[in-house]
Amino acid sequence: MKKILALALALTMLCAASLALAEPITLQLWSIATESDSSHQAFVDAIAAYEAEHPDIKIEHNATENEAYKTKIKAAMSSGEDLPDIFFTWGMGFLGEFVDAGRVVCLDDYYPAYADELPEAMTVNVRYDNKMFGVPYTMSLVTLYANMDLLAQVGYDHIPATYDEMIACCDALKAAGIIPFGVSGKEAWCLSEYVEPLVIKSVGGDKLRDMYNGVASWNDEGVIKAIAAFQDMVTKEYFDPSAPALGNDEVKNNFIAGKYAFYQNGSWNNKDIGEQAKFAVQAGTFPVLNPDVTLYQMIGGPNNTLAVTESCEHKAEAIDAAFFLARYFSDADYKSGANLPCWAADPKAEVGPLIVSAADMAAKADNMVLFGDNFLSADAANTYLDYIVQAYAMDITPEEYAEGLDADLK
Amino acid sequence: MSKNKAYIAPDGKRPLTARQTFVYAVLILWAAISLFPVYWMLTFSLKNNAEIFGENVIGLPKYWVWENYSRALHTGDMPRYFLNSVIVAVSTILITLTASVMATYAMTRLQWKGSKTMNKFFMLGLTIPIHASIVPLYTTLSRLKMLNSYWALIIPYSAFSLAMGILICIGFMGDIPYDLDEAAFIDGCGVWGIFLRIIAPLMTPAVATVGIYTFLQCWNELMFANVFISKDALKTLPVGVQALSGQYTTDWGPIGAALSLATIPTLIVYVFLSKRIQDSFIAGAVKG
Amino acid sequence: MKRPFSYKLNIFLFLLPALILFIGVLIAPIILSGYYSLTEWNGLKTPVFIGLANYRELFTSRSINIMRALKNAMLLALLSTCIQLPFALWLALKLSKHVKGERAYLSIYFMPVLISTVVIGQLWLKIYNPDYGVLNLCLRGMGLDNLAQIWLGNKKTALWAAFVPILWQYVGYHMLLMYAGIKGVPPELNEAAMLDGCTESQVNRYIIIPYIKPILRVSVIFAVTGSLKSFDLIYVLTNGGPNHATEVPSTLMINLLFLRNRYGMGSTIAVMLIVLCFAFAILINMIFKEEKGR
Repeated sequence: MKKILALALALTMLCAASLALAEPITLQLWSIATESDSSHQAFVDAIAAYEAEHPDIKIEHNATENEAYKTKIKAAMSSGEDLPDIFFTWGMGFLGEFVDAGRVVCLDDYYPAYADELPEAMTVNVRYDNKMFGVPYTMSLVTLYANMDLLAQVGYDHIPATYDEMIACCDALKAAGIIPFGVSGKEAWCLSEYVEPLVIKSVGGDKLRDMYNGVASWNDEGVIKAIAAFQDMVTKEYFDPSAPALGNDEVKNNFIAGKYAFYQNGSWNNKDIGEQAKFAVQAGTFPVLNPDVTLYQMIGGPNNTLAVTESCEHKAEAIDAAFFLARYFSDADYKSGANLPCWAADPKAEVGPLIVSAADMAAKADNMVLFGDNFLSADAANTYLDYIVQAYAMDITPEEYAEGLDADLK
Repeated sequence: MSKNKAYIAPDGKRPLTARQTFVYAVLILWAAISLFPVYWMLTFSLKNNAEIFGENVIGLPKYWVWENYSRALHTGDMPRYFLNSVIVAVSTILITLTASVMATYAMTRLQWKGSKTMNKFFMLGLTIPIHASIVPLYTTLSRLKMLNSYWALIIPYSAFSLAMGILICIGFMGDIPYDLDEAAFIDGCGVWGIFLRIIAPLMTPAVATVGIYTFLQCWNELMFANVFISKDALKTLPVGVQALSGQYTTDWGPIGAALSLATIPTLIVYVFLSKRIQDSFIAGAVKG
Repeated sequence: MKRPFSYKLNIFLFLLPALILFIGVLIAPIILSGYYSLTEWNGLKTPVFIGLANYRELFTSRSINIMRALKNAMLLALLSTCIQLPFALWLALKLSKHVKGERAYLSIYFMPVLISTVVIGQLWLKIYNPDYGVLNLCLRGMGLDNLAQIWLGNKKTALWAAFVPILWQYVGYHMLLMYAGIKGVPPELNEAAMLDGCTESQVNRYIIIPYIKPILRVSVIFAVTGSLKSFDLIYVLTNGGPNHATEVPSTLMINLLFLRNRYGMGSTIAVMLIVLCFAFAILINMIFKEEKGR
């Protein structure tokens, strides 16, 4: 209660301060929450809530579709003009290049006020030289969604827990005429949602992180083993044969329509799948390849982030708004079942079963390594994704994959 | 003479020879191929998924799902995008037309040494790829604080349509007898007088031709429109349609409706102006 | 006769609007691109001058693989000049001979040119859809199940599948240009040839085609340079995929610029594209001139 009072007081003071300025402030916010995005409503509500508390501040929200957004924010950052005040970003590599160019405000002076609600562990992916440059709001984990009705048809009442059992299950599904996995072969990052769990469950999280950081070599037996397993799944046609022509949205909708037994993708799908799927659905994680590695070596982590630009005119207001909005989104996305919160969540909130399993996995996680294309810088990330695409197309052998990444990611 | 008659034959009175039948068959087939995507778009924009995905792929809709259109209209702001595209296209056409008619006048009716070279210089523009200049343009526009304004599109579009505009205008201006200039000069008209009173009014047939070329250049452009404009209120139709298609990947009805909404107005204008457009093409291209 | 008016200032004023647009938007950016192409620049920090290193990397890097993109663009140019243009010419020749419903055919053939590329791209995406697309449904309906393909997702078919809509869309454009040219052939020429007993194909070959050569030249230049700079439809249909099978220089450039933040390298491709377009335009002009001389 005290905390809330203190916060309320702080907010009123801020209100008073901004009232004293008596000059209406408009903050530009850029995001990827277009009208069809599952967090669009959260953005609308959060902005309304913020504006209600700060009658002098208007937030202008401008949403762009995912891929177009990357182009747009990079183009704006490169010119340094016409930048938004607050912008959506992903952690590590993506935000890193903007931080490197001095376009992003350091939040170290502002963070302590929120440290109670936003654990420091959640800020690892927005820290550069241990300085914090973004406010994370939701955390995503690669999740293996399973259509339990289809699994039941081939005699499984649980997600296979070992690799051998997984292979046996897929063979049984194939024999029954059911496609085991849905994936978009058109969008490389979707393939990485299958490759990365295999790699982390073969080499372990610490080593994978070292590989991304350029400390450990990619030319590693574990990597070769993981890619061999991935290509094995491809040659055995566990993936939808139409995959190369399908976008991720189509694949997701196919899974929801009951076309695939499994769909492995980020936990941000919890809401859509939970609400729309008309079959029993479970969320789990892919079994380990290497028995020395623990099951809960997870790909993912705190990722969706708001950051404030250095060129922003009303920095104090923008930073305050960024923290406010991030906390709001964290809460709203959790309650709506869209994704896992980075901020302390209301323990009494009633949430769907998928988000419960996601939270459970996050709690059990021994290690979390961010998605490779987020971790690496833009150029390296695209080289990396190219290798995954080539592995999927069977253009390269697992050995060539390992050697190639080792040579090209330096 | 008999060969001669065979050649003139297709006046419809005589029975068609095998060769003519073949020609007509190809012509009709190509017409069908040209029309099919549009026909298909219009029909599936009014169908539900069950019909689109199997029950009735090619036929007319059994149940007319007008709801697709209201859904397409309510996602994003299609009328606004359309208006923006019109504003950009009309301004671009006006600027291109003015600049190219003036430049053509200087290069063909006024006498000076470098006129040929200058013409060649402008013709370079025909081969420069529009996307090659995106980075420098972006940085320059942003320094001039012109991003997120109609100008950010109008100026580059005009510049890239200019070469074709000049090429067409040279064709048309060559048609105007030089005696007219001389007569006007003797009557005491200056260079500007001749341009405004004699040349400019006689250039009206070029308007449609340059207009169409320019329109085609800017109406479809996607990359500049995507990068230079980030404000929703200023987005153009291609960007809006592309975004909308990304949002309804599995619901084809509303996508079809959005695509139709973007296309129907153009088609209507085309139906009324097709003869005019083609006539001006004929006049322009021969000289070009 | 010497024309009496030649006032330098007026000439300059008449040229001014066009010059400002042309130099400001086309020439200056090319020079800037030329400079950027000699730098390592991620678009954020200040560009660092690195000489010709980008050019060296462009032609040696396996991950950029410019040669594949160029090969694809050249294939498109070849298809365009060898299939699209002759077909357009054939249509124009037939239509100009008082075919019944001449106007209607013209209007229909030209229509795809007017439709936004994004719309065309989206429509063809749907036509090619492996599960519900018209193409596969028709093939299956005819019992040709084994011919049904993941057209845009299969490395072997994607390139051709992406080229078909490009070729399809602009047949009408070239046809109209050529039709216009043919209509401009003086009727006396035709009549004289026919009185001499020429057949239709002889008239076409010896009278009409030589007469409209300037237009054919323009068409060829447009087809070739248009292929080199083709972007929109490929961007909508495949964006260079699957696994870069349909990459053309422009998609590669946009990819390097906006996905990889390699502004220096992207500018290098831009410069290369400009040089290639000029080179081909000059080459085609020379070929046509030589023919004229003969």
